[in-house]
Amino acid sequence: MNKPKIELHKIEKNKNGIAILKDINLKFFSGKKHILIGPSGAGKTTLLRLLNRMEEPTFGVILYDGENIKDIPVLELRRRVGMVFQIPIIFDGTVKDNLTVPYRLRVISHPVKQDELTKNLELSGLQSDFLERKASELSVGEKQRLTVARALINKPDVLLLDEPTSALDHAAGIKLLDSIKELNEVLGLTIIMVTHQLEYASLLGGRVIHLVNGTIVREQESEDFFLNSEII
Amino acid sequence: MEGLNFNIIDISYLDLIISLGLIIVVAGISRWQGMYLEGDLIVGAVRTLIQLLAVGYILKYIFAFDRWYLVIFIILIMIIVASLTVTQRQKKRTIELPFIVGFAMTAGSGITVFVVTQILLQIKPWYDPHYLIPLAGMVIGNSMNGSTLAIDRIDSEIKSRKMEIEAYLALGATARQAAGASIRAAMKAAMIPTINSMMVVGIVALPGMMTGQILSGTSPLIAVKYQIIIMYMIALSVAISSYVLTNIRFNRYFTSDHRLKEESL
Repeated sequence: MNKPKIELHKIEKNKNGIAILKDINLKFFSGKKHILIGPSGAGKTTLLRLLNRMEEPTFGVILYDGENIKDIPVLELRRRVGMVFQIPIIFDGTVKDNLTVPYRLRVISHPVKQDELTKNLELSGLQSDFLERKASELSVGEKQRLTVARALINKPDVLLLDEPTSALDHAAGIKLLDSIKELNEVLGLTIIMVTHQLEYASLLGGRVIHLVNGTIVREQESEDFFLNSEII
Repeated sequence: MEGLNFNIIDISYLDLIISLGLIIVVAGISRWQGMYLEGDLIVGAVRTLIQLLAVGYILKYIFAFDRWYLVIFIILIMIIVASLTVTQRQKKRTIELPFIVGFAMTAGSGITVFVVTQILLQIKPWYDPHYLIPLAGMVIGNSMNGSTLAIDRIDSEIKSRKMEIEAYLALGATARQAAGASIRAAMKAAMIPTINSMMVVGIVALPGMMTGQILSGTSPLIAVKYQIIIMYMIALSVAISSYVLTNIRFNRYFTSDHRLKEESL
């Protein structure tokens, strides 16, 4: 097995006095796909949001490449650990305007490379002629692909996906999963995806982490995990 | 000299009491239409009478006494009262809010009044209360309304744009960058009434200060010139106040490490 990209040690997260995550010890491996599954309220999204410091754990330590994530400048960490949300959030303007946002956010502006934009679009399953289209006129599935492409502009090592298929119809969901698999294979991206849709979880493959009530109840490779489906 | 050949009709206290009759008519309409605003109307009318008479006497004293510290004191009182008024209008009041508003309004009105009185008009002495107090009063009053709109708007914008803000943060944006659209919307909301009033001034309505100057015998042309400067002052003052205010206010929604504070939404 690869070396761990992200490690969680004794993570606890409380919100309003309620324990959302309890004593989580977990490793996400470099270049591997990981799926966090479990019923709603299990703490999957919270766990994901701890990894790019959108939220902070109440207790415990998270390491990124062996370094405490608190010691990595947070903006840098979020560029290395990209995130795609459940509902595709599209900014005003064209597809190109959306893709160039990460460039504009940098203190020292990086020149926009057209071939980088089209490459990332295509990797996310959109054609390069989408660049000049108005982003608000895309379908929900296309919008979600655009948010993936936009996250890729920062050249992350890890991509967090929070129920990325839940707002999409079945066909669009399958297409997005294919793109995510390709990103993992072509770019070697470490994928960490939250889903409650078992079909998508088994299609993506990789390591399955099953959370219930803020605790990991099982962690297994996808093939082994889905052999015995009554455990969910 | 232009504008001084006009006999001002003084208004006696009896005239003022009689003018209250206008309010009695309004109270009658209120009762007739079942609006039940009579109580508030009477209180409002009496407060107008007492507050303005009090201000009149205070100003008369200050003008006669002619000391810089008294002028500054009056302007400070205006800013404090305006800051407290803005704070009271907010649903989310925090202990630091009146200080932030006071700071923003001091910056906005201070810079504007300084530029106009010291660089443009070059009043002598620099604190001449005839200029400083009314000009400061106008800009502080308008900054107060602008500040109220700015705070209301930035609070609601950050709440409604929560997902967009998080999308920005996840891409490596700073809190300031992520809140940029909310800040711009709040500043716009604060500026729009001022811009609208610049569009219609003189056509739809004659501004109060200009009307007052004309009534007191100033040539309409001089009154208009002052009004033009006042309108520009208000625009700059509202812009600075709302800029300072929104750029401080948005911070309460973020941690120092660029995280949106769930609990503050």
